[in-house]
Amino acid sequence: MGVLKAIANGMGTTFRKPRLLVILYVINIVFAAAVAFPFFIIVQTELGHSFLGSSVRPVDLMWLGEAALKYGDALPALLGGLLVAALLCLALHVFLNGGVFGRLLDREGRTTLPTFFGDCGRYFWRFVRLFLVSLVFLLLTFGIGLRLLSALLDPLIESAVTEWLPLILSNLHLLAALLLLSIVHMIVDYARIAVIADEEAKVLKALRHALNFLKKRFFRAWAIYLVIVAGTLAGTVVFYAVLGALGGPSVPLVLMGLVWMQLYIIFRIWVRILFVSAQAEFYRSHPY
Amino acid sequence: MKNRIVPASLLGAALLLLPAPTRPWQEPAAAGGAPGLRYEIWVELDSAGKMLLGKEEIVWTNPSREAVPDMLLHLYWNAFKNEDSALLREAAAEGMSGRGAAPDDGEWGWVDITDIRLADGSDLKPGLQFVTPDGPENPDDQTVARVLFPAPVQPGESVHLRLDFRSKVPRTVTRSGYYKNSFFIAQWYPKPGVYEEGRGWNAHAYHQNSEFFADFADFVVHITVPQNFVVGSSGKQTEVTVDESTKRTTYTFRQAMVHDFAWMADPHYLKIERDFIADREVTAQEYRETARLLGLSVEDVRLPNVKMILLIAPAHKGQIERHFRALRAAIKYYGLWYGPYPYETVTMVDPPFRTRSDGMEYPTLFTAGTQILTSKDVLSPEGVIVHEFGHGYWYGLVANNEFEAAWLDEGLNTYSTARVLARAYGPGAPPLVFKGIPLSWLLRIPKNFDFELNRAAAINNVRYDPVTAWSWKFYNSGSYGANVYMRAATLLSTLEGLLGEETWARIMRTYHMRYRFRHPGKAEFIGVVNEIAGKDMTWFFDELLDATQAFDYGVAAISSVKVPARRRGVYDANGAREEMTSKKIADLEAEQAKSPDRDGAGPAYRTTVVLRRFGEARVRGDAQVKVLVRFKDGTMETRSWDGQARWARLEFIKPVAAESAQIDPEGVWLIDANLANNSRGADGLRRNVVKLMTQLLFTVQSFLHFVSSWS
Repeated sequence: MGVLKAIANGMGTTFRKPRLLVILYVINIVFAAAVAFPFFIIVQTELGHSFLGSSVRPVDLMWLGEAALKYGDALPALLGGLLVAALLCLALHVFLNGGVFGRLLDREGRTTLPTFFGDCGRYFWRFVRLFLVSLVFLLLTFGIGLRLLSALLDPLIESAVTEWLPLILSNLHLLAALLLLSIVHMIVDYARIAVIADEEAKVLKALRHALNFLKKRFFRAWAIYLVIVAGTLAGTVVFYAVLGALGGPSVPLVLMGLVWMQLYIIFRIWVRILFVSAQAEFYRSHPY
Repeated sequence: MKNRIVPASLLGAALLLLPAPTRPWQEPAAAGGAPGLRYEIWVELDSAGKMLLGKEEIVWTNPSREAVPDMLLHLYWNAFKNEDSALLREAAAEGMSGRGAAPDDGEWGWVDITDIRLADGSDLKPGLQFVTPDGPENPDDQTVARVLFPAPVQPGESVHLRLDFRSKVPRTVTRSGYYKNSFFIAQWYPKPGVYEEGRGWNAHAYHQNSEFFADFADFVVHITVPQNFVVGSSGKQTEVTVDESTKRTTYTFRQAMVHDFAWMADPHYLKIERDFIADREVTAQEYRETARLLGLSVEDVRLPNVKMILLIAPAHKGQIERHFRALRAAIKYYGLWYGPYPYETVTMVDPPFRTRSDGMEYPTLFTAGTQILTSKDVLSPEGVIVHEFGHGYWYGLVANNEFEAAWLDEGLNTYSTARVLARAYGPGAPPLVFKGIPLSWLLRIPKNFDFELNRAAAINNVRYDPVTAWSWKFYNSGSYGANVYMRAATLLSTLEGLLGEETWARIMRTYHMRYRFRHPGKAEFIGVVNEIAGKDMTWFFDELLDATQAFDYGVAAISSVKVPARRRGVYDANGAREEMTSKKIADLEAEQAKSPDRDGAGPAYRTTVVLRRFGEARVRGDAQVKVLVRFKDGTMETRSWDGQARWARLEFIKPVAAESAQIDPEGVWLIDANLANNSRGADGLRRNVVKLMTQLLFTVQSFLHFVSSWS
């Protein structure tokens, strides 16, 4: 199967299973609202009755300076809270991945809350183990691979005579990091797919399936990943261009801005589902 | 040509050739006489060995009524000699690390006086010793040395010193130094302190959080470098001599009435000259408006032409016009507001790569700072160009002691920078960069005015130090920067609001022109403020600059209640006693409401506004806390509160309820730590608050989605 066909088929699957998107979006917004709630309280308390509330901008130094003064001492607790929220979110999505992968790989099956969460539970521990394996991959990638690259580039950067060389090399380093990260993500995604598609109970075996699969068609698989990333970036550019045009505090503009931002979040969640479904299509078209 | 040392006898003749600032508005005599200090320096750069070899002649005239037995000399480069210098110890104490905190092995710098004599040949070297004028904290610091004279220098008498010095150029730690074949040379020559009658020599060690202080002098400096080097320097280049046999070139620069001299050399730099032509930059209307504002004639505010010299790295060639545009704006507005630029030249140096010499001022020369990728939304390099040129006014011309009153130059100049940038460019986006790429290329980053950033930093650092602390005695570098630069600037903006635009403009102009070529301190500045304002504003400085207390007045509550026409209780009337019950009152009011012949007077409302002083700082003098209350029928009422107590309750009886109450409705008190509590409205959520919340929600959603992608 070609790259574009895999993506097109993946898209078809996502459109056939819109409830996945709904479930993930609802979880995202509820979780986010819970995390943001203390900030809402602060904003309302400080600005809800103040004239400053009529002129305040999203990044307003006049008010941010005051907020820093008033709540600066609480910053460690605030960051700690955010860290806990992030870890909870991570754990939650390790759990939800079971439902996403399970439903997408069950072509004919319906997506209902029982089937979705049933898959979440069914694959949870295997996905936890795969998550831990992905941490090892990340450690190898960033702890060793990128350090080796740095060791190679740093002497060149150190001996530069103009800014160009450090600029180019540090951005190449970043690009390498992102590409390596995409490969790690891709390998783990295919391992998850293998767990379900090959009904593999052992995650290391599933990982081996994935690696064997990728060994034979690495660049096509990677191209699927990169094409979707490119599409996401294009969507992001459009999003910010439109969002910029929706400036202003009038009620219709605020509402349109809100809707547009939520559409973008939905788009990004859809992209996440598309990654899985396109890769699943590609995997299934080349049986192990 | 290695030994092209001009004989000392020619010193006087050479000084006669100085490009003195002789325009009528800044005649040195009018500013306190010709400088009592003259330098002639011959310096040769050994670019391979990273060494400077120098000879220096100093003629110092005792300006006091005291006999002076010695002289304190700054040897600033010894700050880079070892980790026991005040500079490096203070950097280490602040937890600084890496090359920004100390040179690496083999990259240290130092300066040695190898010979020092009087003009008659008397050897002063045996009496030369390092001293620590700032106390025992840094006993091994070698940045100040004392030289004893054979006999005290009598009042009005001159002493003529001849020095040989040898310096190792450091790999740059703070501004002075080299990277590969690029050199930025500042604070490099043995430099006397400032003699203050009754106090002696004012000289301080080179500290982490301080800049410099020196006397106005006439300079002649001969700089010898390899022939292929481009040189930029303080002063005006007057001669160039090429020695083909040694492949070396000597440039001579001269400048009168400056208190420091810096230079740079690099083999690859571009040197571009342009003219600031005043009549092209300033319209007749601008001259008239400035003259009216300052109460001067148009001739008094007319600007001279200035030669602008830019030394820029070839990699930044595309930014030449940006540099000149910013410099033109700075020359124009500083000139119009504070006084004409008195020197013939100004040299702007794009600092050599990795010399860490960006953003620094020296008389008639300053360093800017940019990067190869820039954004039009970000006022960089504009901000640093305006600021560092501005130091030519606040530090260069009005030369306060930067060790002891840094706010007088940094604060006044940060305030001035914000005004120039706002006038010439408007708001700018913050210079956020990732991997050398401006983030404003990728994201829509909100723009802000400098005064907003200044205020945000100011209110968060009030608690650490007074603005007026001595530079190296601040809590840390953060407090030094925030208080000396940003809080001082915010307080000056506040003072401007308090005194009004015209009075303030005249204060700044008067202070500048009166103290040009002098060393004023806080008392002189306050003196001008009081004189021009026509009232004693000393309280403002006592309360807000010398103290560490927050200024925060706010509206704590606002409420409107209907005033009852009748009150409950037992009343005596016509010898009888009657109880007015709730039911009676309700019945009477119902009857009155039905009555066709009511006089049309509706119910009255009692509005109560509670004001609070949340901070320790108070308004004083004739200043008051102004409160504006708006009512639902569109009427407004303004009251004043003296602001001395912790709170005040104001009452208003009106036919309608109140809509809002606002303290400081004209926005005078920029230093107020909480502008959000300055107003309180009866209505609830405001549209921008809703918008803020939607964006906050979106940000958290995006963050969580990003986190989930790692699962």
